[in-house]
Amino acid sequence: MSFSTFVTDKAGLQQFYASIVEKHETYAPVEKFGNFDFVRVTSLSECDPASPIERTRSIKPLFFPRSAKIMKYVATSAGTEVSETDEDPYAGMRVILGAKHCDARGLQVLDKVYNWDYIDTDYQKRRRNTVIVSARCDKAAAHCFCTSLDYNVENLDAMDVLVVNGPDGKIYLKARTEKGENLLKSDVARHATSVADEASAPALKQQYEAFASSFRLKMNYTEVNGKLSNIFDSPEFEKVSDHCVGCNTCAFVCPTCHCFKISDEKLKDTGVRYKSYDSCNNGYFTLMAGGHNPRPAKYRRWRQRALHKFVYYKERFGDNLCVGCGKCTVACPVNISIFEVANQVASTAM
Amino acid sequence: MDYTKQIQEIAANLFAEGKIDVFVGYRTTGWDNNQVPVLIADPADVPKLVFNDKSVFNLVNYLKREHTRNKRVGIVVKGCDSRSLNLLLTESQVKREKLYVVGICCEGVTDEEGNKMQNCTECIVPNAVVSDVLLGTPTGSETVTGSYRLNSDVEVLHQKPLAERAAWFNEVFEGCIRCNACRHSCPLCYCEKCCIDQETATLYHGANTPSSAFHALMTWSMHLAGRCVDCRNCEKACPSHLPLHLLHKQNEAVIYENFQEHLAGVIEGDRGAFYKYSLKDPDDFIM
Repeated sequence: MSFSTFVTDKAGLQQFYASIVEKHETYAPVEKFGNFDFVRVTSLSECDPASPIERTRSIKPLFFPRSAKIMKYVATSAGTEVSETDEDPYAGMRVILGAKHCDARGLQVLDKVYNWDYIDTDYQKRRRNTVIVSARCDKAAAHCFCTSLDYNVENLDAMDVLVVNGPDGKIYLKARTEKGENLLKSDVARHATSVADEASAPALKQQYEAFASSFRLKMNYTEVNGKLSNIFDSPEFEKVSDHCVGCNTCAFVCPTCHCFKISDEKLKDTGVRYKSYDSCNNGYFTLMAGGHNPRPAKYRRWRQRALHKFVYYKERFGDNLCVGCGKCTVACPVNISIFEVANQVASTAM
Repeated sequence: MDYTKQIQEIAANLFAEGKIDVFVGYRTTGWDNNQVPVLIADPADVPKLVFNDKSVFNLVNYLKREHTRNKRVGIVVKGCDSRSLNLLLTESQVKREKLYVVGICCEGVTDEEGNKMQNCTECIVPNAVVSDVLLGTPTGSETVTGSYRLNSDVEVLHQKPLAERAAWFNEVFEGCIRCNACRHSCPLCYCEKCCIDQETATLYHGANTPSSAFHALMTWSMHLAGRCVDCRNCEKACPSHLPLHLLHKQNEAVIYENFQEHLAGVIEGDRGAFYKYSLKDPDDFIM
């Protein structure tokens, strides 16, 4: 099925965004303490869909919240009664404005793990009910390396509506899915004109080429992935991780990290069970009931992190778990770069 | 302020004389002018060491057991860093004989934009108070004990009515994602298992809710009351850029008003309010 493309100008795009905010439950980047986080907005002036990528949080928490209630319980003399929690705040139909390509790709990668073994129905519902509008970046930030990985950034189909700032000053809006097609048809028609795919293709290509040439970080993914598959015992892991402070920041800001822990908020005989983020850099990660810790040393936890991103997930699901957004490097207290870690360790391979 | 050459020389000599196993210093990131900590175990890596006004991180954080257990360590400390080192020594967390301390007479460090950090503009202990060798010329007053001064932005906060102040702090707690970067970057948080992370005795549940962030951050700041040296490692580590120093400064104001005579860590062996009980302690604020 082919989807339509529209062309408009800056004012038209703003009108398109404004009409989305007005009609739909909309989430967009809002600044707080210098960071942009995706929160519910009721007017376009509150948010900045073109927020800078290095200061924008991922959209992952809208699908896999930092903490989600999964059940309630009451203990009585007759036994324990378990009940569903209140309604999921993220279950309604909604639109996300200003998502970055890497974030959208992150969800595509996460879909595989959420569709495997245990099917997470909450996640599926949130995915089904969300329309993602994502603008292609014009310039790579210092720690971006999405174009070096195993996915095609130019023809990415992880978002529903693609927005491209054409080099000719025009703005191209391209539907990528049926949901995106419906959104465009209902909201953009008044502010834009339809254009054939062939007519818009050269502008889109030119914009992509300018973007792709702005990357500081480049690597040969196939080579790095191949070398890392065979390097479990490398002493280099100790060197690259020795100044890691051992916090959870990298995993908490990552658009693809999906480990979680279960904890209860208890009050006498009643309680609420939460599912919250966990991180493999946490010293107690997968600590077992008998006290056994499978990764007691920091470098072993870092090895798990690097290899899960670049090897294990690829082997199991066919996608690289790292999407190259650089959020972890920016957020890290000591700026450890996953790009450098992967390349440095791979470079010592035989 | 550039002591790159001197520090490289000192580190090379220490390795040559076999006095240390690891040297903790700074190196440039490799992509911009900013610096990250580096733990050097191989003398061949000594030329990576640098020191100038971009050397921001408090390296005393790496003297915690998980990083340099049983090792003889060479370390670079600025004024504030040396105060936290003094506290670790007083609290028996590190052995002085296992350390070689390169003290700096600090002229203040700058943030990513090149502006002097706010804590540096109001710093009253710029010179390292613990050192085996002191680099630079000591500036400021020679005797810094007892010279506590209220931080300017805490003063601003104090002038707000209580409800407004509470609302402002709640906004801070809402921005917390419970990643614990503040705690892990704090040189004075050395418990191998933090009470906040206890999962069997659920004093604090692990969920990321404003109430759990309030509990975690308040507990943390209470444990630092009268100990915080205002190095701002926590604030620089925070991925949400929360103004965490205000929590500590707020506590500090109460501590110095009521319990403590000296600034944390300026006097070797001085146990602060957190560790000292005195019959003279005022208890008028409890009831």
